[in-house]
Amino acid sequence: MSANSLQVLAAAGKGESTRTALRVIILCLIAAAAVSSRLFSVIRFESIIHEFDPWFNFRATKYLVANGFYKFWDWFDDRTWHPLGRVTGGTLYPGLMVTSGVIYHALRALTIPVDIRNICVLLAPAFSGLTAFAAYLLTNEMTTSNSAGLLAAAFMGIAPGYISRSVAGSYDNEAIAIFLLVFTFYLWIKALKLGSMLWGALCALFYGYMVASWGGYAFITCLLPLHALVLICMGRYSTRLYVAYCTWYALGTLASMQIPFVGFLPVKTSEHMPALGLFGFLQLLAFLDYVRSALPSRQYQTFLWLFAGGTFGLGLAGLVIATSAGIIAPWGGRFYSLWDTSYAKIHIPIIASVSEHQPTAWPAFFFDLNFLIWLFPAGVYLCFQQLADEHVFIVVYALFGSYFAGVMVRLMLTLTPVVCVAAAIAISTVLDTYLDARSPDPENAKAEEAVEGATKKASKSGLKSTTKPLVGIYSYVSKGVVVTAMTLYLLLFVLHCTWVTSNAYSSPSVVLASKLADGSQHIIDDYREAYQWLRQNTKDDAKIMSWWDYGYQIGGMADRPTLVDNNTWNNTHIATVGKAMSSSEEVSYPIMRQHEVDYVLVVFGALLGYSGDDINKFLWMVRIAEGIWPDEVKEREFFTPRGEYRVDDQASETMKNSLMYKMSYYNYNSLFPPGQAQDRVRQVRLPEVGPTLNVLDEAFTSENWIIRIYKVKDLDNLGRDHASAAAFDRGLKKKRAAKKRAPRVLRVE
Amino acid sequence: MRWLPALLSAVTLLGARSSLAAKKTSEERFKEFHAKSLTSTPVKLADSSYKQLTGAPRDYTVAVLLTALDARYGCQLCREFQPEWDLLSKSWIKGDKAAESRLVFGTLDFSDGRDTFMSLGLQTAPVLLFFPPTAGPHAAASPEPIRYDFANGAQTAEQVHTWLSRHMPDRPHPSVKRPINWVKWISTFVIVSGSITGAYVLWPYALPIIQNRNVWAAISLISILLFTSGHMFNHIRKVPYVASNGKGGVSYFAGGFQNQYGMETQVIAAIYGVLSFAAISLVVKVPRITDARTQGIAIFAWGSILFIMYSFLLSIFRMKNAGYPFSLPPFM
Repeated sequence: MSANSLQVLAAAGKGESTRTALRVIILCLIAAAAVSSRLFSVIRFESIIHEFDPWFNFRATKYLVANGFYKFWDWFDDRTWHPLGRVTGGTLYPGLMVTSGVIYHALRALTIPVDIRNICVLLAPAFSGLTAFAAYLLTNEMTTSNSAGLLAAAFMGIAPGYISRSVAGSYDNEAIAIFLLVFTFYLWIKALKLGSMLWGALCALFYGYMVASWGGYAFITCLLPLHALVLICMGRYSTRLYVAYCTWYALGTLASMQIPFVGFLPVKTSEHMPALGLFGFLQLLAFLDYVRSALPSRQYQTFLWLFAGGTFGLGLAGLVIATSAGIIAPWGGRFYSLWDTSYAKIHIPIIASVSEHQPTAWPAFFFDLNFLIWLFPAGVYLCFQQLADEHVFIVVYALFGSYFAGVMVRLMLTLTPVVCVAAAIAISTVLDTYLDARSPDPENAKAEEAVEGATKKASKSGLKSTTKPLVGIYSYVSKGVVVTAMTLYLLLFVLHCTWVTSNAYSSPSVVLASKLADGSQHIIDDYREAYQWLRQNTKDDAKIMSWWDYGYQIGGMADRPTLVDNNTWNNTHIATVGKAMSSSEEVSYPIMRQHEVDYVLVVFGALLGYSGDDINKFLWMVRIAEGIWPDEVKEREFFTPRGEYRVDDQASETMKNSLMYKMSYYNYNSLFPPGQAQDRVRQVRLPEVGPTLNVLDEAFTSENWIIRIYKVKDLDNLGRDHASAAAFDRGLKKKRAAKKRAPRVLRVE
Repeated sequence: MRWLPALLSAVTLLGARSSLAAKKTSEERFKEFHAKSLTSTPVKLADSSYKQLTGAPRDYTVAVLLTALDARYGCQLCREFQPEWDLLSKSWIKGDKAAESRLVFGTLDFSDGRDTFMSLGLQTAPVLLFFPPTAGPHAAASPEPIRYDFANGAQTAEQVHTWLSRHMPDRPHPSVKRPINWVKWISTFVIVSGSITGAYVLWPYALPIIQNRNVWAAISLISILLFTSGHMFNHIRKVPYVASNGKGGVSYFAGGFQNQYGMETQVIAAIYGVLSFAAISLVVKVPRITDARTQGIAIFAWGSILFIMYSFLLSIFRMKNAGYPFSLPPFM
């Protein structure tokens, strides 16, 4: 009895079921590691939504949960883009909100009361666990090695390139989109390998989900046809490819057209054309394939090439003509900026102003991927060894992905999965080779080589390096050395990921942290202080004007209507705000009156040395305004005659008279002894006499002066203009003013 | 002595004529300069003709480019912009033969108009001045010229055209017509047909190369290394290859995380390449070595190259990101 059970136990270690169980346990641990490494910000700060865009997603999710799906679908939001409003339901990707909504209702049905905010905060970490699993599945399709999939899952779970967009609180579309991206690729490979309509339909289903979630779906839309085209060019057309591609394209396009924001774009815009073109091309190939089976002949090859090439050329010409004739919309601006890299700089300042759209310098690659970045080419090379259909996919994806990641920092996100997969293939091959306990017999190997050398002449198509037979590693010492080194690199990678995540990617940017002299952490909470002030002290429909960066936060945290926000769909409206900020008071006041602005909010970092403030963003406001009113706003005039951008007493007159400058530095002198006012961001001393404001009243300034809110004055009762009214007031109050103002006290709370 | 009065009167007549010429009406001046521009535009001006053209009561518009084309002045921007300016004025005048827009294009070179440059106090060239009409239906409030901003480098004819059109509302704006570049078309045609022929002839020889897996692997790896070492950043930002470090030496690595030099990215690409190649050798080549001793040496060599290179890479990265805490032995 006992001997029997021992036997069972011993056998279990080698059995398939034990391996499966181990694999499940490892995957669960990887998922746990992925989730927990994203929780730094929750532990350090609190369960809070981060940055800018997530605040809109959070607000939309709350609306969805409160009003139901159909109301959400038809949502017209009159509290943004005042006075235009925004057809929010038709201009967003609803996947993220609907996912959170479904989870919320499911948990409610299970009688688990969870705040919707916590679901939103923790959605991205939860999905990162699923992404790791999807990476495991995708890698297992590529290689027979058992460890590659698990390594890929581990890499995917903790690679900073993905963590950057999926820490707890970063409730953005990418949070679920990367999982969908990887999983769609897995299903595509599966469909292609099996030629199965079922897997193709599943692929289309997840593609549809992806389209509903993120604008980056175009990456899939372009990559799959590219893969198919490369396969065809390699002469690997097969009915498997035909079935997989056509199923995916037909169903996936139909699914994507159900999203109001996408609508008829899949048949109209150029970035969807490759997929459509290849769909047609595959039909032709299938037809030719049929013809070939019907009439076998020697000349058939020529006929095929001519026919296929001619049709492809005609299609391309048709595409070009239709585009130039305006039947098909030209490429979107953001896509132009990907191909013609100087396009955005000249034509669309609003795109150029967003730091996510900047090209990537090399440190960013190493920072986000660490040693995976140099294992990545090795993994791609290993894919060339077998070069089955799925390996071609990795190669195509690697090239495509690294190009786009180089052009735009944000697209590092789409590169990360393929880097993880390729690096995992490389590492697992190393470990499989060097962790093999069996050593080859030298005599045997020599004999084998002699035999191989005699018979070998064939297999020209393979790689040059793999012509010789695989022998194995003889010495245990060299095995040990290589394995130790690899383990060291892996451990370093884990340390690197933890360090990067903890230091770079876990700041909510709504709450800032600084270290005090004694090393303790000091929380700077000016944003929330100011938004809370707005929420409690202003009318429910008071319109707030600010630069577009803060629109979503004001909508989400202060719940007040804004003029412009991070959606940036209307360049003219943004330029209007830019003009109001960059013009003199006399010009700005009518603009603000026309837009019923009640309060103006500016971000000012000079006291604290917070460099992301509005004065540093000011030139973009000027540039965007100049794009629409080139005669009234001129970038040149904001520079000194020597071409410097200054804020001290050397600043140009236009700069000093601009509303933004006045709002930022108004009363700032009073914090310092006369003539000592310092700007700690730009490191300059400010002029002794601060600016005067006539059309605005200071309403609120936060603790560290990061946020300053001004109330727009009403028209003067006596019909004077504001400048003379203010001058009159100043003249009267000159003596009493000192008495009235209480001494400034440091708030201690 | 009878010819003296005749001579005198002739002289006075001439003088009167010349003084008359200076006081020509705005209409006459426009006709004169328009006639000139029909033959060659933009009209080449000198100090006197510049004064005449831009004289105060004018019912027409003038756009004058003040430039310094002579190689002595080394004005790169002037020479870059000149063909665009010629193209703009030619297509405008051609599209508006009847002079409905009443616009005269002029060019004043520094060597012809030193005094004008002095009187305007110009330190830089090129300067594009736009003189709106002071009389007539489109008269502007201020007779002062408007200056075009060349701050963003040389502009295209189309950009200047929109600027002009903006300052001339309610008048025809003949669009810029770029001449067909025959040379380019012909050369493209020749190159394309030549390469098609070449491809047809070389096809049997090229096919093994095209179908060779090693070639494709090499192409793929090189492009991946280029892209991941920040080549696109160099391409878009046009970064310098190396820069001076301010002490007379050369600095190969740019300070700061968001910045890089051309040389730097090549070094990085090379390091990545060596590291990848070492990894590939360890998994592909080394296990195929049949001799145990050779294999041991190869493993040791590739392993140490990998280790040292990675350590070097980490040390470079610490240069870029001062707070980075990790390093490996040789380059601590």
